[in-house]
Amino acid sequence: MAQKKPDLSIEFCGKTYKNPFLLSSSPVSNSAEMVERAFDAGWGGVVFKTLGSDRLRIDHPSPRMNSSNYGSRRLVSVQNVEQTTDRPLKDNLMELLYLNKHYPDSQTVHSIMGFADKEWEYLARMSEDHGADMLELNFSCPNMTIEGSGHDAGKSFYDLEHYTSIVKRAVSIPVMAKMTPNITDMTETAMAAKNGGADAISAINTVSGISGIDLDSFIPLPNVFGHGASSGTSGPGMKPIGLRFISDMAKDPDLNLPLSGMGGIETWIDALEYLLVGASTLQVTTGIMHYGYVIVQDMIEGLTDYMASKGIGKLSDLVGGTLPKLGKTDLFDLDRQGVVEYDLDRCIGCGQCVNVCTDAGGQALEWKSETRRPELTEDKCLSCMLCSFVCPISGLIKYKAMPEGWKRRETAVRDPSLEKELKYEPYVHDGSDGCLV
Amino acid sequence: MNINIVKERFKQMSPGMTMDQAIVEAERCLLCLDAPCSTACPADTEPGEFIRKLRFRNLTGAVRTIKSNNILGGACGVLCPTAELCEKECSARMATDGNPDGNDKPIRIGDIQRFLVEYGREIGFQPLSVEETGVSGKIAVVGSGPSGLSCAAELAKKGYEVTIFEALTEPGGVLRYGVVPFRCDVDFIEQEIVDVKALGVEIKCNSPVVGKAAAEELLKQGYDAVFMGPGLWGAYGLKEHSADIEGCYSSVDFLAKLRDEEFDGIISQFKGKTVAVIGGGSVAMDCVEASARLDTNDVYLIYRRSYTQMPAEKEERIDALQAGVNFLILHQPVDFITDDKNRLTGLRLVRTRLGEPDESGRRRPVLIDGTDWDMPVDIVIEAIGNKAVDESSDWYPNVKVDGSSLIVIDSETGATSISGIFAGGDIVRGPALVVEAVQDGKIAARAIQDYIEKKGNKE
Ligand SMILES: Cc1cc2nc3c(=O)[nH]c(=O)nc-3n(C[C@H](O)[C@H](O)[C@H](O)COP(=O)(O)OP(=O)(O)OC[C@H]3O[C@@H](n4cnc5c(N)ncnc54)[C@H](O)[C@@H]3O)c2cc1C
Ligand SMILES: Cc1cc2nc3c(=O)[nH]c(=O)nc-3n(C[C@H](O)[C@H](O)[C@H](O)COP(=O)(O)O)c2cc1C
Ligand code: SF4
Repeated sequence: MAQKKPDLSIEFCGKTYKNPFLLSSSPVSNSAEMVERAFDAGWGGVVFKTLGSDRLRIDHPSPRMNSSNYGSRRLVSVQNVEQTTDRPLKDNLMELLYLNKHYPDSQTVHSIMGFADKEWEYLARMSEDHGADMLELNFSCPNMTIEGSGHDAGKSFYDLEHYTSIVKRAVSIPVMAKMTPNITDMTETAMAAKNGGADAISAINTVSGISGIDLDSFIPLPNVFGHGASSGTSGPGMKPIGLRFISDMAKDPDLNLPLSGMGGIETWIDALEYLLVGASTLQVTTGIMHYGYVIVQDMIEGLTDYMASKGIGKLSDLVGGTLPKLGKTDLFDLDRQGVVEYDLDRCIGCGQCVNVCTDAGGQALEWKSETRRPELTEDKCLSCMLCSFVCPISGLIKYKAMPEGWKRRETAVRDPSLEKELKYEPYVHDGSDGCLV
Repeated sequence: MNINIVKERFKQMSPGMTMDQAIVEAERCLLCLDAPCSTACPADTEPGEFIRKLRFRNLTGAVRTIKSNNILGGACGVLCPTAELCEKECSARMATDGNPDGNDKPIRIGDIQRFLVEYGREIGFQPLSVEETGVSGKIAVVGSGPSGLSCAAELAKKGYEVTIFEALTEPGGVLRYGVVPFRCDVDFIEQEIVDVKALGVEIKCNSPVVGKAAAEELLKQGYDAVFMGPGLWGAYGLKEHSADIEGCYSSVDFLAKLRDEEFDGIISQFKGKTVAVIGGGSVAMDCVEASARLDTNDVYLIYRRSYTQMPAEKEERIDALQAGVNFLILHQPVDFITDDKNRLTGLRLVRTRLGEPDESGRRRPVLIDGTDWDMPVDIVIEAIGNKAVDESSDWYPNVKVDGSSLIVIDSETGATSISGIFAGGDIVRGPALVVEAVQDGKIAARAIQDYIEKKGNKE
């Protein structure tokens, strides 16, 4: 019998998204013409490029971005200095009306940023009056040239709560607050937005960073007519940071809000990981800046096939799936240890494993130059796994759990004869001067 | 040498890419807009799309792209002369021309395609299913070669009832009885055929559709349409009577024997012998390579033009040379030399030189007077071209054929001059490619669907 096709649709703040994939607010969602093509390609919704009120003119610095490469791989991350939209509000609202009219089944979220109480209120009302399904409050752009806005507001508990509550009072559609990762604990900033009435949280916006420096002029890149600045970094390199913040918020029982995750999503695997740490919608910019809207097809097909192979019918069954197994490091059972094991039949003899083990691991590998193969001394292996990361043959080097009670050899002292020169005496703790345990 | 050692050399093709290799290769792909490789694929296998899918770790999707566009996607990955097809247009290769930043190698599309199909099999992924269209109709397909399999699969996916009639004992056509097993082995082909059967196609082997108007009769036996894909199983020869000479084979006979119960006989017959293969195309290369693996004494390839004029792919030519085959170029065989029992003892050859270009644009070989000589050989394999079997037009006497007994069709639909009979593959094109036969099958399947729908509306 034919299996039922897994269902990618998901509820988010009372609305049904046909799939969890949204354009995030950025150049990829800058105009109706662009978003229309994205919807046609399969995206389930859009967070439109952040709207402003036209009171203060916005110009984007030029050039606008720089790419971080790793060897020949391009766009491992991207640094941008773009601000909120440079288009007039009237034009943007017409664009959003168009999308609403022609794509009633695709969700349209309006991202807004004000610089004063009244301005937040005004933008929220304008959006609601022009058919926004939801609002996203941009508390997180790190690039604003207007002080006190963007991620400055997103770092202030007062601003977060205050502006959110103003917006909440002005409109009846759901309101999501978009968080900056340029802080230490997002559950606190998110809680401030919740206190102001936020119905959902999205994260992460871009991470402040410096992608490179021109070595002749010493000007950081992108070089905007003689100046550089630390500014928003996004893309695959930021994924661990995004996953961390989403999972922190998902695990916080007091916060308990729906989450929209982003930061480095390109493949269905990245998307699934965000779902598993608790996001229920997903947003993408840099993946599209690199490869175009078409990548959504592989996210949809890949995720659908994955769910079919696991017998999972609904997307919501995946949301937060990792959380019960995600703890703090103090939960680890440190009595259990393991080592690596090698399938040397597949070895091609490059020796990278020996190199990293010798210079950064446990010196557990010896190089047999006649056969060009490594030889492992098991009880010296730290199970750091470095050798497996550099090995070009997937699965050749694997982790092997050792039986309970197994201990590794201690690292040998270079010159034991120096013991006689030691002035060592053991540390004994007395008193309670800030002692943790 | 032990017969089993020789057999071992024929059993298996060399292994394909690993996952790591495929991923590295896909990462080299430039993900071109309007991918030129996709445009170049004769069967619309969409390499641009399946490589992109691999790149984004959508491996199952990549397998789906291949198999839904090309039911023989695995075999094509192995057998397509990619350097002349998809890989010829690859931008990674194009980037070299005058561009020092370019990298000089096309993406190994055929190898990636094979990898993905094998990966799909390994994880038991079934990308194809029968659509619930509610259509009804019975179609007879004559021949289980690439064109027949492709047409049958395409129709079965749409929900039609398809029966393939195959003359030989196993399905696959040239894939099974032509292509040498060390290039594409039996297991590999069987898996492709399993995919066709899984769609509900019935394959009746040992069921030749021969005799007076037998193909046209099928329409009267309850089939709504017939697809003809019998291929070319006759052989051109130097002389009318060459088949009667002991030690003289056509490529068709020789290659088929490598695949069936006569293989042991061939091994003992070729042992220690000197073999000459006549021809310069891919089939000739298969024949010399097979001969070289057969524990023979010396193997010669005899070709009347120059090395660069050979139609066989560059890699095939180099492989043959590496296998120890001696190329005797600019030599025209003119006669067989036999003993009184009509057993072959040698070949009479005349040297040639290149003259003016002929209609194919290649310089014509011209015999040089007085240069004939006799070369002692024990076995000759003629690989100078396949043709329709002589009586084939009797099976469909009302279907229009050309002077070489190739079936004439409308290229947009595969329709022959007789309503309800369609055709494709080598019987239409002359010696062509697997990937082209696949496309013919697909085109005809779509036209057959239209034809049956229209017929249904009329009734
Ligand atoms: C030795 C050789 C090597 C080749 N190598 C390559 C290669 O590497 N790459 C490539 O792309 N192409 C290659 N080709 C060409 C390719 O194999 C053909 O173009 C392709 O097989 C044509 O497919 P087809 O369906 O038209 O016919 P075939 O493959 O010839 O299949 C026809 C089938 O119909 C059956 N049949 C015939 N008459 C009847 C009848 N009356 N009733 C029932 N059944 C019948 C036959 O037994 C056969 O099984 C090669 C060809 C040869 C001969
Ligand atoms: C060039 C650029 C401009 C952006 N502009 C905005 C913006 O106007 N409003 C906003 O909320 N986020 C903006 N972002 C942040 C993205 O929406 C997103 O949060 C971030 O890039 C992380 O996702 P990613 O790794 O998929 O790109 C911008 C990002 C980039 C790269
Ligand atoms: S079917 Fe053949 S020509 Fe087409 S993409 Fe695949 S290998 Fe290339």
